[in-house]
Amino acid sequence: MFRKKGKLLAYLVMTALVLILAGCGEQAPGTSTGQEKVNLTGSGSSFVYPLLNQQIEEYRKQNSAITINYQSTGSGAGIKQVSEQTIDFGATDGPMTEDQLKAAKGGKILHIPLTLGAVAVTYNEPNLPKDLKIDPKVLADIFLGKITKWNDPKIAADNPDVSLPDSTITVAHRSDGSGTTYIFSDYLSRISSEWSSKVGKGTSLSWPAGLGGKGNAGVAGVIQQTTGSIGYLELAYAVQNNLPYARIKNKEGNWVAPSLQSTSAAAANATIPDDMRVSIVNAPGTDAYPIAGFAWALIYQDQTDKAKGTALVNFLNWAIHDGQALAEGLHYAKLPANLISREEELLKSITFQGQSLLK
Amino acid sequence: MNDIFRKYQNWLMLIVFIIATIIALIPLFGVLGYVLKNGLSALNIQFFINLPKAMGLPGGGMANAIVGTLIMVLIASLIGIPIGILAAIYLTEYDRHSWLSTVVRFATDVLTGIPSIIVGIVIYTAVVLKMGNFSALAGGLALAIIMIPLIIRSTEEMLKLVSHSIREAGYALGISKGKTILKIVLPTAAKGIITGAMLAVARVAGETAPLLFTALGNQYWARSLNEPIASLPVQIFQYATSPYKEWHQLAWAGSLVLILMVIILNLVARFAFRSRSI
Repeated sequence: MFRKKGKLLAYLVMTALVLILAGCGEQAPGTSTGQEKVNLTGSGSSFVYPLLNQQIEEYRKQNSAITINYQSTGSGAGIKQVSEQTIDFGATDGPMTEDQLKAAKGGKILHIPLTLGAVAVTYNEPNLPKDLKIDPKVLADIFLGKITKWNDPKIAADNPDVSLPDSTITVAHRSDGSGTTYIFSDYLSRISSEWSSKVGKGTSLSWPAGLGGKGNAGVAGVIQQTTGSIGYLELAYAVQNNLPYARIKNKEGNWVAPSLQSTSAAAANATIPDDMRVSIVNAPGTDAYPIAGFAWALIYQDQTDKAKGTALVNFLNWAIHDGQALAEGLHYAKLPANLISREEELLKSITFQGQSLLK
Repeated sequence: MNDIFRKYQNWLMLIVFIIATIIALIPLFGVLGYVLKNGLSALNIQFFINLPKAMGLPGGGMANAIVGTLIMVLIASLIGIPIGILAAIYLTEYDRHSWLSTVVRFATDVLTGIPSIIVGIVIYTAVVLKMGNFSALAGGLALAIIMIPLIIRSTEEMLKLVSHSIREAGYALGISKGKTILKIVLPTAAKGIITGAMLAVARVAGETAPLLFTALGNQYWARSLNEPIASLPVQIFQYATSPYKEWHQLAWAGSLVLILMVIILNLVARFAFRSRSI
């Protein structure tokens, strides 16, 4: 009796599960069009995640057959996974190094700029004003763990009108491989020789001080939960969290807050090489915000699947043209117009069996 | 007089026991209450039927994550439960004391203690890299590997509890060893074995770490088992660490659903199989 009952139950559970699964499969959108269905998987930069996520949703409204799954795993993971060909495309905000490019299993990887972003220096100290001035050298000293109090004379020197609190500074940084970290440490290496020799630049560093958080979101969480903290975030994350961000002294000696204009200004004077791997930190220009950078899509020049490759190239082409309209609402700067035509050429060079995929 | 003192002593100790029991229950009900309080407000029909929405947009759900978790737990159970139970039968019924069973028992104990993230890395290297993509299969396999030692251990303990005289009674009637195991030993221990299997299922249903490298995650429906797939724990992890209030709410609701799934699993196991006992 018992075993019959058990069997019956097992069959019922299995049948129910199969029905549930089948039901959900039918619900999947994109079944109405006659187009071939394509699923793409990408992962990487959390810096570009809010923009890419919205672009994907928007693109899907027009092309329901194409589903793009983008997971915000951090630039380090994006580079690793695209190199190991476990995903269809990666995204990073720190360009791949020569060694990384050589290690890629599927041949030549192209960097396609998706957007421009600023890395904001944010803090959580209720007694501080919204636009504290932080000198680059002071910034390096804070992240080196040499300045530990908010009322340190070096901070006070640039903020004479502010009564600084006598609280301890807690540094918040990324714990995972991160392009935001790359941009930030690239900047600190340019302006501080001590940072350059002791810590250097990279997607993950051995930090002299502070608490780690996973992803931009994780760092935002650490900052929000820790009074007296300072950290670096992609501008959109700082704005979303209502976190104040500091004005930084740029190369020309002006105090500049991160914004779309100051980020575009940083890109305006940059000379961008053909492979698009360029650093625009500490850029010249009176209004240029000094901690800014590109986020790139990483894609193999030689695609191995025609349908996937075509969908990917078309999406990227849309993202650098129409998709840019979504950028400013999310606090990303639009790509410079002269760059977009060069990117188009790059996309046209992506091939399947020698044939260009972009029509 | 002495009698009254004894009565007081009795009452006093009883109160101490009751207090200790209540304290032991506080964490359980604390967690349940907290998740209920925060999760219930975000739980609505949209949560169960909608896909996640892009950042900042309201009305997103976790339908794909709920189904994804069910699928991967099902895959893990289909692989893990038969292997675990069969291995345990071998260890208790056929080979209690040889070097092989000693090695298997030792390996099982070690495997039980291995952090689940390491299972994830191993599957990433052995399966994801070989297959060239993240998938529900890889995720299910990682969960199965975590399940197997748990099931071997619990099944073995249950089979050991079956009195040897029951087996001997079977042999005395001329029933073969295989039949004795199938018809007498296993049904006797069934309730315990199933409870053990259910506990293993409940344990892996909440695993996050091994899925990060194997199932990856997906904001849409996975169309086949060979594609990246969403799961509740990973989704909760991503949402809980995000700065967005809507996503925090969804993470609480997801936690509530996950806890309810585990509780229902336990209740089903107990209710459906309560008629048999050792």
